[in-house]
Amino acid sequence: MITTYEELTSLALEEALKIGANHVLVRIQEKLYEVITYDCGVLKGYSVGRVSGLGIRVLVNGGVGYVYTTSLNRESIVGSIKRAVSIARSLSRYGRIEYVDIKPVKDFFKVDIKVDPYNIDPEVKVGLVKEVNTSSMKKDGIKSVITRLAYEVDRRYVVSSDGVNVGGEVTLVGFSHTAVAKYGMTSEKVSNSKTFVGGYEFIESNDWLLFADEVDKLAIKTSQAKTPTPGTYVAVLDNEAVGLLIHEAFGHASEGDLVITGSSVLRGMVGERVASELITIVDEGIVNGGYPVPYDDEGVSKGRTVVVKDGILNEFLSSRYVGGRLGCGSTGNARVQDITYDSVVRQTNYYVEPKDLSIDELFDGISYGIYIVGRGTSGGEVDPSIGTYTFSIGPSYIVRDGEPTELVRGVVVSGNILETLMSVDAVAKDLKVITNVFGGCGKDGQTVRVGFGGPHIRVRKLVVGGL
Amino acid sequence: MFYDIIERSLKLCSRYGFNEFEVYVVDDVSTEVLGSDKGVERVVSGEEFLVGIRVVMGRKVCVYGGMVSRVEDVDVLVNSAFKIVRTLPEDREWVSLPKKLGSSVVEGIVDVGIKDLELDKYVELVNYMIKKPKDIDRRAFTTNTSIYLTYVRRVITNSYGGVVEDEKTRASISVNVKVVDGSDESGYSESYSASNLSRFNPDELVVKAVEGAVRGLRSRRVNTGSYEVVLMPRVFTSLINSLIAPALCADQVQRGRSPLKGMLGFKVFSENITIVDDGTYPGMLGSKRFDDEGIPTKRKVLIDKGMLMNYLYDTYTANIDSKESTGNAFRPTPHTVPKPWISNIIVDRGNYDLDTIVRELRNGLVIYDVIGMWLSNPVSGLLNATVANAVYVDRGEVKHSVKGVVITGDVYDLLKTDEVVLTSNKEVLGRYEVPAIYIPRISIAGEG
Repeated sequence: MITTYEELTSLALEEALKIGANHVLVRIQEKLYEVITYDCGVLKGYSVGRVSGLGIRVLVNGGVGYVYTTSLNRESIVGSIKRAVSIARSLSRYGRIEYVDIKPVKDFFKVDIKVDPYNIDPEVKVGLVKEVNTSSMKKDGIKSVITRLAYEVDRRYVVSSDGVNVGGEVTLVGFSHTAVAKYGMTSEKVSNSKTFVGGYEFIESNDWLLFADEVDKLAIKTSQAKTPTPGTYVAVLDNEAVGLLIHEAFGHASEGDLVITGSSVLRGMVGERVASELITIVDEGIVNGGYPVPYDDEGVSKGRTVVVKDGILNEFLSSRYVGGRLGCGSTGNARVQDITYDSVVRQTNYYVEPKDLSIDELFDGISYGIYIVGRGTSGGEVDPSIGTYTFSIGPSYIVRDGEPTELVRGVVVSGNILETLMSVDAVAKDLKVITNVFGGCGKDGQTVRVGFGGPHIRVRKLVVGGL
Repeated sequence: MFYDIIERSLKLCSRYGFNEFEVYVVDDVSTEVLGSDKGVERVVSGEEFLVGIRVVMGRKVCVYGGMVSRVEDVDVLVNSAFKIVRTLPEDREWVSLPKKLGSSVVEGIVDVGIKDLELDKYVELVNYMIKKPKDIDRRAFTTNTSIYLTYVRRVITNSYGGVVEDEKTRASISVNVKVVDGSDESGYSESYSASNLSRFNPDELVVKAVEGAVRGLRSRRVNTGSYEVVLMPRVFTSLINSLIAPALCADQVQRGRSPLKGMLGFKVFSENITIVDDGTYPGMLGSKRFDDEGIPTKRKVLIDKGMLMNYLYDTYTANIDSKESTGNAFRPTPHTVPKPWISNIIVDRGNYDLDTIVRELRNGLVIYDVIGMWLSNPVSGLLNATVANAVYVDRGEVKHSVKGVVITGDVYDLLKTDEVVLTSNKEVLGRYEVPAIYIPRISIAGEG
């Protein structure tokens, strides 16, 4: 009976090397995700999911095979190793994959928590969600409310035949509230959520009735608001909107795997201007408010990568394979959703660096424009090969004579990211980075937790859609 | 291990004295072959056992589960569910788990070529799709391509004694092509998703991807304004999936999050639009013998000549409305709470030839691809999407390609007029079989 991760990884490494692997990487994961959902006064779900298993990647004569199993007995593990080696050997005739060298490292990282959410009585957690949800349902104008409380504990180990032996345990907790208000024939949905890297102490130290009340009031106001007139606007974007824009529209294009396949608008542009000189963009493993990634899923240390420096493209994000093809090292950006996937290049905490203006100064001189607010944003989509993006934004405000004025709903922004970043003419000093236990970034069918954000910025030309 | 998990789960659940319980076990064997412009890059393969335990005490309900590494892991799942369920408040809308499980006869859902995987064959196929674009257009190359094949066994059983079991295969194949012409470039992707490979033609897939990429060259925005549009099947599918399908689900209707609430028997779309949900349709991606709580799948008309006929139900929402489940319970994984969702959506074909419709456009766009349609709001019906691949048509003549403009509108206004028409040709795209659709007026945000 195999009982420890050391026994599992030793077995996997030894067996794979014995039957001909040139390089071996083993991932082990145990994860718990719990979400409590109240929907219109009814407990819609108390759902708990676990992930546990092992993935093994082998390199044989330049061919790569990755095999995973959730069965952690000797027979299944040895069978998976044999299959991985067999696949890799077979693929070696189609080309040669190489991994850049990395520093051997041994470490374990754990997020400090004061109160373990696992130990909180389910009745207490359910009671809180119920109170918030049923309170909102009583308000005039509110037609539907979903309230959620979630936490996750994700423990991972990465061990390789070239000296990597790292592990980590990250705990997240979060609270989310979505209200639908109806006014006449118009129904409008507004959402907000807060996520904390740490324990249940975050839930205990916040007033969630007040949090929900703000969402409810905004939903009621939004249902009575108009949509903006479609066209091109001078726009001020808040922290969340900037984070979303940078992550989706620029961040994905800076992922090296897209660059090497010609799928990024940024390929061949290192050293060239891609944004206003006010823009510096960073991907960093540990950032206050973000999702901690001290090591990626290849066991490479994730430090600070300056992707854009004063508007000039400086570096792409990479993994051990992509770094080799780009002719540079790995930046520690190889990440997986869980052991059923092999890694792809992903962002960690991706943000715009702040400058020194106040938020008010960004609005100065705008006679007619829009204040884009990211709270409750549904998300965005981008074609990184040409830099086209589109985002559905939460309730925002028309700007008149330097002041945010009437609320507008149904705001969608779109454009080309390079054109948009080139037209940034002011950056504020209020850096804010956030993460989200209710969602993450999707790519190649995988979702990973990320951090995103920045300061407020002003853009001279932004295409806004509406009715 | 598969049957050991089921047996142990049943024994444990019986011992704990739940009023009702359900055990859902999945054995998923998947293989993915990935390639890029540099060749076949890697194969990812594996097997996972997933278990979902739904337990009920009185009207208290809890779902617990996840991946299982050993048969003994089931003990933890059932014990945890037991500990939690006792502390929960009652769900006043809870009636019961399904009391009668069953299966429909569905053809074409197990492809032996996927089940008994010959890996080398699919590696060769990926290699072929990497090289093929150059033969079609020397400016074109594959940026990446993949073949994802899955064989799944499922068993659902519950405390009312029924047991259903099935097996199913799935294939998802995609190719992304880029065309570079001087300083201009354009990309386009095509994909195939179904329960079997009987309709899969790699040449056709690559040709369509190359054609799409070439069509996107030298694109520019059109001016902001109102235009006629033709949404090609891929875009119409995306519109239905993002805006109409959620509004047809009973949970959204019951919670006041659907514009179709209270509209049964009323005309909600053009009389030219008929939409059917059919989980028994042979070989489609969403075809299966029973839904994710063991109710037989079936065919049902949702929109008949523009009139709303039915919502989609799982057992929970059906009980609330005193109806039968329509066999549309959906769970992304066995340990999530079921909710209604589409199986396969079939839209009736129209009488119009696409070329004829395009020739009659005065000032319109033919839209082949969009991004961000999923960001539209199904609660309000507000459509928003950015055009990624389209052509502008002026008095019947294609003038230039278009991308980067935003289409917006209230989908219930856009599709209500009887001026809306559908083409006679349809495409099968995963869970959807749809024609192209002509919409006489839509708002576009572009230049100016």
